Amino acid sequence: MSVISEGTDSAAHRRGDGRALRFFFWVALLLGNGAVQAQSTPYIPDNADVVLQQVPPTTDPRVRHFNQLRAELSRQPHDTDKAVALARAYIDYGRSTGDARYLGRAMALIQPRMQAPQPPVPVLLVHATILQSMHFFQASRDELARILQRDPDNVQAWLTMATVAMVQGDGDLANRACVQLANLSGDFMGIVCTASLRSVTGHGEQAYVLLKMVEDPGPKAPPAIRAWLEGLLADVAARLGRVDQADAHFKQALQWAPGDNFLLAEYGGFLLDQGRPREAMALVSGDRQSDTSLLVLVAAETALALPQATADVAEMDARFRSMAQRGDHVFLREQSAYLLHIKHDPQAALAIARQDWQVQRAPQDVRVYLEAALAAHDPAAAAPVLAFIARTQLSDVTIDPLVAQLRAAAPAASTSTGR
Amino acid sequence: MRPRRWLLGLLAAAVGLMPLSALAHKESDAYLSLRTDSQDAHRMHGQWDIALRDLDYAIGIDGNHDGAVTWGEVQARRTAIENYALQRLAIKGDGMVCALQPTGQKIDHHTDGAYVVILFDAVCDKNIPSKLTVVYQLMYDLDPYHRGIVTLHAGDKTAGAVLGPSHPEASLDLREPDRWGEFKSFMVDGIWHIWTGFDHILFLLSLLLPAVLIRRRLNTSGHGFASGAAVADSSGALMAWMPHAPHNRWEPVASFWPACVDVIKIVSAFSVSHSITLSLAVLGVVHVPSRLVESGIALSVMLAALNNVYPLVNKRIWLIAFAFGFVHGLGFASALAGLQLPAGAMAASLGGFSVGVEIGQEAIVLAFLPLAFLLRKTRFYQVTLLRWGSVLIVAIAAGWLIQRAFDIPIPGFSALLSR
Repeated sequence: MSVISEGTDSAAHRRGDGRALRFFFWVALLLGNGAVQAQSTPYIPDNADVVLQQVPPTTDPRVRHFNQLRAELSRQPHDTDKAVALARAYIDYGRSTGDARYLGRAMALIQPRMQAPQPPVPVLLVHATILQSMHFFQASRDELARILQRDPDNVQAWLTMATVAMVQGDGDLANRACVQLANLSGDFMGIVCTASLRSVTGHGEQAYVLLKMVEDPGPKAPPAIRAWLEGLLADVAARLGRVDQADAHFKQALQWAPGDNFLLAEYGGFLLDQGRPREAMALVSGDRQSDTSLLVLVAAETALALPQATADVAEMDARFRSMAQRGDHVFLREQSAYLLHIKHDPQAALAIARQDWQVQRAPQDVRVYLEAALAAHDPAAAAPVLAFIARTQLSDVTIDPLVAQLRAAAPAASTSTGR
Repeated sequence: MRPRRWLLGLLAAAVGLMPLSALAHKESDAYLSLRTDSQDAHRMHGQWDIALRDLDYAIGIDGNHDGAVTWGEVQARRTAIENYALQRLAIKGDGMVCALQPTGQKIDHHTDGAYVVILFDAVCDKNIPSKLTVVYQLMYDLDPYHRGIVTLHAGDKTAGAVLGPSHPEASLDLREPDRWGEFKSFMVDGIWHIWTGFDHILFLLSLLLPAVLIRRRLNTSGHGFASGAAVADSSGALMAWMPHAPHNRWEPVASFWPACVDVIKIVSAFSVSHSITLSLAVLGVVHVPSRLVESGIALSVMLAALNNVYPLVNKRIWLIAFAFGFVHGLGFASALAGLQLPAGAMAASLGGFSVGVEIGQEAIVLAFLPLAFLLRKTRFYQVTLLRWGSVLIVAIAAGWLIQRAFDIPIPGFSALLSR
């Protein structure tokens, strides 16, 4: 059973932190002399006014907010409510800017409070959220289960549980979480949750209708929520192949949350799929410091055979190397797609896709796995994913043709996986 | 619908559901490299690249809070940066911490932004050993996901580790063990230990002073002299007042070789016995409290000098050397205490130290013997050096004994033994 094997894998990951570090010791050994350090030469800037680095400015109200919380917390270091509030502020900021450092900073606030015999539920919730954001899905799920044992009516816990379950491709658990959410917090959360689940189980039309019902949550709703809803609508529309609707929702979403890292990556990917690489470039060209945006940029430049593609591919290679150096594992889906489409190395892409599949099973993970299996002429390798699609009835205009191709390429494999 | 609770749910959603995308930036990394110096066996050159974003978060670099860190702002915080970072790093060889001295500040760019480059030297008391321990605690309280990517370069050999708050320490093999280098390093230590160890020198000198002289019984004739001699024999101090006590007197040896053989016997006996206890103590077979050892050494110096003034042992001085050599050996061992020597390095360091002690004392003997032989017939040698010198040594040693055995500080005495 896939969920069980996944569970042991994640648990082993946590237990095996030392083992993993030892492994990365060898990676570091191999890469020690590598490009990340060797290609750059330390220098002394020409003059004192040279700007070296952008950091969060205090003109940003979010920055002022957590600076104030940080100051208060340093005066009252034992105030758990303040620590939780600050950790949440960091997580929010990290999510919208895509800066993983803020997850670490949030964790630094939460980790010491996890040492208590029975940490307060808000502390556990933030901890589970960070684990989820760091793609430790199984660990997050285990912790959420413990929270819900103590506090079965915790809306936030059910919501995060639903999210994790959907990423893991566990429809049953996601469905249970959605029902709980509907019961506990009224229609809105239940509808959004159910719509999200339905959109990945072959009921895209229904999902779109449900989301349209809650598209306008009222004037008091924060822009981030509106952006999120528009982003969900865009996703569902894109999955259904309704290109114009998807495009409009993406644009709407970006109006609510300009520069949002997640939306830029999603919309950029959508534009590339639509054969609109110039628009994709224009979308992300101001955000090349972001790994996800640079990936879109590199793909667009490669599609257009632009001369700067070479340098940007080298830059992206260096970023993947430095991620490998520190032992990052959160970028497997993107790395697999990069290896396949930019580096044209289907075998390596498939190997990474297999690893990714052990951790997450969202539609994008399904897609990159199938593409890699096809390109590697290894339709048998796709069997577990095809079985997953058969079970969940996932349907997506970018995935359906791949499934058809794979079934045609390996009729034996498709009959054995059953329909 | 209750709007407040509704909004609360929405905010929860913002935290709970959205951080699903890959993050735009990897987590916090720093790059630490250490390079041995081919000219200076005690020194390593370090380079530590730390992200400006991390330093800004930790200690504040963006002085005017405009969100742009300039080179001027980095320069202004140079001392603070160096103090912050270097206090969170320990480099240890054989259990001893090497001193970290900043030598420069530069800038470099890694895949995720600008890094300040801290250039520093690690200066170790001993030769850089074959195994180096790095204790890395940067950001340990601010970001559990921070990783320090450590690389060691020793000649053409490279070793590396990925360290972080959950895994702060690594021992790295720098090179094939340089046993000869360790041997030499400890040999030098041994030489200096003898030369700067005033008590060992005084003990040796006390034994060596009479080596160029022979104690000869005279045929006494005057009765008055006999009683004087008896008083003199019973009191070294009185004897000192009566340098020509008639019935026993020092006579210069006739030829060099008997004196030389005498010296060789003394020195060899001393070497044999102190080597035995030095080895036993370093290997942990015997442990004698240092107060007892230090008092014993003082006592040995006192008795050896007293024997020159009031000779008890005359022919077999080497027996004194042999007996008290055991105590001095324990004293030498204290110089090696505190070194956590790896098993392989033990033989090299202990052997090197012993050989160094021998060389140190042979050098003293070589300087002393010809001079003493030349001066042996002079009154200066026989009276001033042998008698008065020995009395002085007795006085000094008595002071040490009181100070060490009873822990009574005597002004000026500590300065004599400052090592």
